[in-house]
Amino acid sequence: MVIETDLLTFFEWLLVGGSDRLPAVLQFLLTAGSLILLALVIGFLAAMVRHGPLVAGDLTYGVVRNAIGELFVLSPRRIWAMARLAIQESLRRRVLVVLAVFVVVLLFAGWFLDNQTHEPVKLYVSFVMTAATYLTLLLAIFLSAFSLPNDFKNRTIYTIVTKPVRSGEIVLGRILGFSAIGTVLLAIMGLASYVFVVRAVSHRHTIVAEENLTSLAINHRHTVQIGPDGAKQTSTEMGHWHPIDSQEKNTEAPQELFRARVPHYGKLRFKGPTGADKARGISVGNEWGYRSYIEGGTEAAAVWTFTGVTADKFPDGLPVELNIRVFRTYKGNIEKGILGSIFLRNPKTGLRSDIETFEARDFHIDSRFLPRKLPRLRKDQQDAGDSEMVDLFDDLVDDQGRVEVWIQCLPRAQYFGAAQADCYLQATDDRFDWNFMKGYLGIWTQMLLVTAFGVMFSTFLSGPVALAATTGALVIGFFADFTTSVATGELEGGGPIESLIRLVTQKNVTSELEQNVATAIVQSIDAVLMIVMQSVTHVLPDFRSFSNVAWVAHGFSIPTDLVCQNLVAALAYVFGVFVGGYFFLRIREVAK
Amino acid sequence: MASDVVIETRALSKVYRDFWGRPKVQALNALDLEVRQGEIFGLLGPNGSGKTTTIKLILGLLFPTSGQALTLGRDATEVSKNERIGYLPEESYLYRFLNAEETLDFYGRLFDIPADVRKARVQTLIEEVGLGWAKRRQLKEYSKGMTRRIGLAQARINDPDLIVLDEPTTGLDPIGVREMKDMILALKDAGKTVLMCSHLLADVQDICDRIAILHQGELKELGRVDHLLRVAEETQIRAAGLNEECQQEIRDVIARHQGELLSMENPTTTLEDLFLSIVRDSEARPGRRASVESETSNEESETA
Repeated sequence: MVIETDLLTFFEWLLVGGSDRLPAVLQFLLTAGSLILLALVIGFLAAMVRHGPLVAGDLTYGVVRNAIGELFVLSPRRIWAMARLAIQESLRRRVLVVLAVFVVVLLFAGWFLDNQTHEPVKLYVSFVMTAATYLTLLLAIFLSAFSLPNDFKNRTIYTIVTKPVRSGEIVLGRILGFSAIGTVLLAIMGLASYVFVVRAVSHRHTIVAEENLTSLAINHRHTVQIGPDGAKQTSTEMGHWHPIDSQEKNTEAPQELFRARVPHYGKLRFKGPTGADKARGISVGNEWGYRSYIEGGTEAAAVWTFTGVTADKFPDGLPVELNIRVFRTYKGNIEKGILGSIFLRNPKTGLRSDIETFEARDFHIDSRFLPRKLPRLRKDQQDAGDSEMVDLFDDLVDDQGRVEVWIQCLPRAQYFGAAQADCYLQATDDRFDWNFMKGYLGIWTQMLLVTAFGVMFSTFLSGPVALAATTGALVIGFFADFTTSVATGELEGGGPIESLIRLVTQKNVTSELEQNVATAIVQSIDAVLMIVMQSVTHVLPDFRSFSNVAWVAHGFSIPTDLVCQNLVAALAYVFGVFVGGYFFLRIREVAK
Repeated sequence: MASDVVIETRALSKVYRDFWGRPKVQALNALDLEVRQGEIFGLLGPNGSGKTTTIKLILGLLFPTSGQALTLGRDATEVSKNERIGYLPEESYLYRFLNAEETLDFYGRLFDIPADVRKARVQTLIEEVGLGWAKRRQLKEYSKGMTRRIGLAQARINDPDLIVLDEPTTGLDPIGVREMKDMILALKDAGKTVLMCSHLLADVQDICDRIAILHQGELKELGRVDHLLRVAEETQIRAAGLNEECQQEIRDVIARHQGELLSMENPTTTLEDLFLSIVRDSEARPGRRASVESETSNEESETA
């Protein structure tokens, strides 16, 4: 599970902000304020060209005064009437066919989903959720982008706006109606896909007694062993194990297959090869700077400091999960992982436990349980003459509840890659079904946003153009990182037009363009375009950040803070889009 | 402004522009109109004379290029005026996926009407426009005449004080036209103000109190229908039971007074009256050919 930026708690996010971002409330007010100002200036200028400054001022004032009256005095009855109309329209346009499509996709999913996978839950969950996302978003775009333009085309809008309906109610009613349809569809899809995932991945084995093995199911088998409670159980394969029934013929349903881990994250720092403090490790040349690396066979270490480690929370010891990335400078035995060591250290006294070794494999979560009593480092033992063991809470955790986990790579010239989210304490699990639902809630927020944007664009664009605009917003939103890096000039190769020229003339992105007038013109146009791009990406929602599929698929509980942040952000967007839609519809001549 | 003025336009002008804002058509030029409480006002003119533009400006569907339209004493672009307005557009632009009941219920919900009143009114209106037998059918299955009727019912859902009808009789058969006219007259009797536009002169003549004639966006004539149509220098006499001598005597009297006899003949009925009487007769005696007596077609009526 990759977490590139630290997750703030909901209130920090809302009111305080992080290191490189403003508090959400302030951000919203700034964006909304500048957009309103921009709209007023543009509206005033457009009116001035046609009617002169006095009338323009009068008109602008009129629009603002009307807006204050109409935006905040909404009638729930009329909104509901408009929403009902949207629902009826969708139903009579047979949107429920989408459900049939989804069911067909599920029915045939078994044919094309990789049955050699080692992580069936991840594969199935991300598959069904992605399918549901695309289907719902596609439907939301089509429903929302074509509805109002159809009203204009068929002139049914004439009979609406000559009733005492405010433009805002038309927009909001549409958003609500289509979202209601989307909600129902998502609920049904969610239920269907949950049943599908659980049924597709749940499995039992039969015991092949003479070999002490289980039969093959979903491309794996377990060995039979004695569990910690003395009963027979299977080994852990592909992240799960089975209890064995009393007759010892069959296994029971899998355990720990569907997970929703609630990790306890720490802060990561690094030690250089000489043991000196470093902010980051070594770069091994990956463009993605998420992980940085520590060299094997040296003092280099990745150190996580965990706070709030108490005996109430972890009564028996620390359940540590590791997801270390491996970078080999020589191949070695490719079947085996790279050896690493882990130990705990008290950040205050410096007392540490002896090392334990583990094998690090790529894309593999290694669960280790560090019990309460750990062996003392041999060197310390001789010095102090103390007991052979150290106690987790008495010796290793300091009085503020902090403890350090040190990871080092053992073989020379091999490297471990680590990021902050790669090591965590795994205290509890959430319910998988609940987490699954939270994942669908993420899709729901995306659907809501797309619907709102579709309706907003359709207030002033024709159906197909509104469709294109909404899709454009969606694509820019999905690739917000890329667009931002183009817009800020972070990415080599210049702005959009310069890139096009490089494409056509087959010029390398790093080579300088010939300095002449044409280049200067292109670059100055690009400079303007890049400012526009930057503002656009700044205003549009980052759709990917609303998706929680990765959490569910990787088996991590979606943090409630994240869910709340996304919901509030989505509602803020819907509000902004609603106000925009109101204005576009209000200042538009309904008839032609 | 007099309190009984329902619609007032002051130098109302509309210029349609193209995409770049260049003037394309002067659809309406400095129109001054007043429609008073309780009258049926007709806007008359050939196609493209600005009738529909005027109505759209009065309803706020279009914004005036210059001038002002006041509807029920408020600016036409204000939404709140719509509480007391009913509008039947040129063609009934209704949601084809709704049935009659759902249509009226939907439009009713847009007004501040209590639910029970709304439900009762929906049923009354459906019966009044004679669609009780088809109220559960989606509008896309409706014939043009039925759509017009439900359109009129839709315009009356809020029991409006002002009803704006754009070409109310187009697409209707003669019976429908008659019924539509009767309904409009009934609205007037109920004290409503009606603004309608049409290019069917007979309709306007039959029901309108006052008319305005527009041509190429300009007001050409305005006044009471009976005044406008009076031909002051002619006299028309209708009498029954006059024999040949008597008719000759009248001709002589006219000649003696230096009058010019323009015509003296047996009048014909209008086709509308003939048609209506045939249909009524056929309804009274189904399965038989209508036996409307007509003096000019004695031979044919024998087969009846």
